[in-house]
Amino acid sequence: MDNKLLLVDDEEGIRKVLGISLADLGYEVLSAENGEEALEIFRRENPPIVLTDIKMPVMDGIELLRKIKDENPDTEVIMITGHGDMELAIKSLKYRAIDFVTKPINDDILEIALGRAHEKIHMRQKLRDYTENLEALVAEKSAQLVEIERQVAVGQAVEGLASMLRNLAGDLEGGLAYFNEMPCFVSIHNPKLEIVAVNQLYTERLGDKVGRGSWEVYQGKTGTRAKCPAAVTFKTGKGQRTKASIKYAGGQEAPVIVHTAPIRNQSSEVELVVEISADITEVKRLQEELRQTQQRYQQLFDEVPCYISLQDRQYRLLAANRQFNDDFDVELGAYCYEVYKHRDEPCPNCPVAKTFEDGRSHQSEMVVTPKSGEQNNVLIWTAPIKNAAGKITRVMEMSTDITEIRELQDHLSSLGLKIGSISHGIKSLLAGLDGGVYLVESGLSKDDPDRVKEGWEAVKTIVSRIRKLVLNILFFAKERELKPEATDVLNFAFDVAASVESKIKAAGVELDCDFDTDQGEVQMDAGVVRLALINILENALDACIEDLAKKSHRIGFSVKPADKHIIFEVSDNGIGMDRETRESLFTLFFSSKGNKGTGLGLFIANNIIEQHGGKIKVESKPNRGSSFRITIPK
Amino acid sequence: MPKKILIIDDDPVIVKYLMAVFSDNGYETCSAGSSMEGLELVKKEKPDLICLDIQMPGEWGPRFYRKLRKDKEVKGIPIIVVSGIDGDHAVKDAVAFVKKPFDPEKLIGIVKNTIG
Repeated sequence: MDNKLLLVDDEEGIRKVLGISLADLGYEVLSAENGEEALEIFRRENPPIVLTDIKMPVMDGIELLRKIKDENPDTEVIMITGHGDMELAIKSLKYRAIDFVTKPINDDILEIALGRAHEKIHMRQKLRDYTENLEALVAEKSAQLVEIERQVAVGQAVEGLASMLRNLAGDLEGGLAYFNEMPCFVSIHNPKLEIVAVNQLYTERLGDKVGRGSWEVYQGKTGTRAKCPAAVTFKTGKGQRTKASIKYAGGQEAPVIVHTAPIRNQSSEVELVVEISADITEVKRLQEELRQTQQRYQQLFDEVPCYISLQDRQYRLLAANRQFNDDFDVELGAYCYEVYKHRDEPCPNCPVAKTFEDGRSHQSEMVVTPKSGEQNNVLIWTAPIKNAAGKITRVMEMSTDITEIRELQDHLSSLGLKIGSISHGIKSLLAGLDGGVYLVESGLSKDDPDRVKEGWEAVKTIVSRIRKLVLNILFFAKERELKPEATDVLNFAFDVAASVESKIKAAGVELDCDFDTDQGEVQMDAGVVRLALINILENALDACIEDLAKKSHRIGFSVKPADKHIIFEVSDNGIGMDRETRESLFTLFFSSKGNKGTGLGLFIANNIIEQHGGKIKVESKPNRGSSFRITIPK
Repeated sequence: MPKKILIIDDDPVIVKYLMAVFSDNGYETCSAGSSMEGLELVKKEKPDLICLDIQMPGEWGPRFYRKLRKDKEVKGIPIIVVSGIDGDHAVKDAVAFVKKPFDPEKLIGIVKNTIG
């Protein structure tokens, strides 16, 4: 602390005495005998405290006070007054003297006045310090705030960039959530080559590097302070694209492509550098995955057994899968209704139109005409395809050929009907069996051998009918493959005749065989053709038995060779058939025999002959008889 | 005097069976193997009850049934239909619709309830 004190008094004695007292109090005392001299010393030494008499020659104390306060207001001036100079004392206070002491000077009062001066000086100093500190503090805090703001802004920029990239990826890949997997490390660097901010993936894979050197994550030359991408960017002021090797937090290394971009401030100095590194192996893997996914989609699109097309609002085909191209004359840009149905205008109830209207999937069934010219039943589904704005711009149409299913359905429903009709035939057989058993039992208990015999005959009849039905059903149920072999026709014909002869004769019907001796051989599955012929012969027998009008019946069975065929002929003079019966003769489960027929026999016979490439031709007249001509190619 | 039952069925085994069952229970019987023959016999024999199969060659069963029903001489005669097919809806006013295979005692029960 400055302990100088200027003492001004015109009386030498006072200067001496007071000077000694003040020196005792620790002051370095400067003294002057008048105002002028005092001002001179003051200007030279600049003491913080001035002690001055008021009444002095040349320049009095009041004048001195005013000048000192003018030149340095911080100087504290204590006035010395004579007894009764109260007016002057008050006047001096007006001119901002700190205090006054009266002569003769009391040391204690002087000390108090000096103490007050010191206190004021100290207070002023403190106040000044406070003020100056506060300014420094404000400056410091402001600087911190600015820095934080900058960091926040940088962070926001990184996040914004990341989210922009994410959106971009979303747009490109139709919402594939690959972005989080994208090996893109985004970081921001300052001119001191410190990392200022990084994206989340950076921290996850490379560690918490904020505040560390820009080069630290790189290997080799790139991993040096001078050659790292950020450094080169700051130096050249240009964005860089380079390959480098990066080190993951786990220690493994990976090749990356590094892109940098300078960010300039208003005075166009490079202030920050954005650096984006992408792991090449990961990128390649993702590219491969994407390629495979696209390929799978394309494959699915082409391989599905459906017709898939993409249509616009005018029903123009914008894309069509392979199946569609295979079966229809597809030309991209052509109208769906032209290609599918050879129509000139859109189909009524078009499901594609409905989907464009309400944005929902629709289904419908239609008959379409493919290249082959057949009429196909298709089941159609539609689905809306929207653009980024959610507007329906396309409709996808998928159709499945259900022709076979429809045919099968028809077949099954008729089969259902027919199986119903066969079941009542079986019920009748059961009732007949009951009848036979009843007759036998009651005949036995009544000791009536005629009735027992009758009953037994009934049982035998029913059993033979059941056998025939079961065999026919078994044959029908089994998809047989033919086993054709060279068959001697004459032997074969004799064999067939022998199988039915006894039954025919037992019924009192004549069997007239006429076999040409020179038949040779024919390729056929003798076992099944035999079944077919026996069936037809048994039908002939039934027709004779049914016919009560004629007295005698005969069945003719002949075999004759033709050009490239063998012709079997079975004729009878039985009841004959009307046209309706004749026409539905070979239909499954058709029977003209009421309870006695199964409706299987001729159906199977016809199938067998057709399998051999042959034909059955029927001629018949009611009450006159029938003739079956069976032709089998040699 | 015993009541007479006419059996119309194309299956001779069933005809024999029914004849035996009815005669064993004290009824007189006659039979026809076709619908045409049946119609003639109704007029000739004047049965008290007809036992009819509606699945026979020739005319379609239910249609023949309606023809029988409309015939003046047949009108009052009760008919029991015995058949392997489901068709009771087609012969609504028949006394009973008995499905093959049938229980002879049940059939006799129905006959007794109808004509005593």
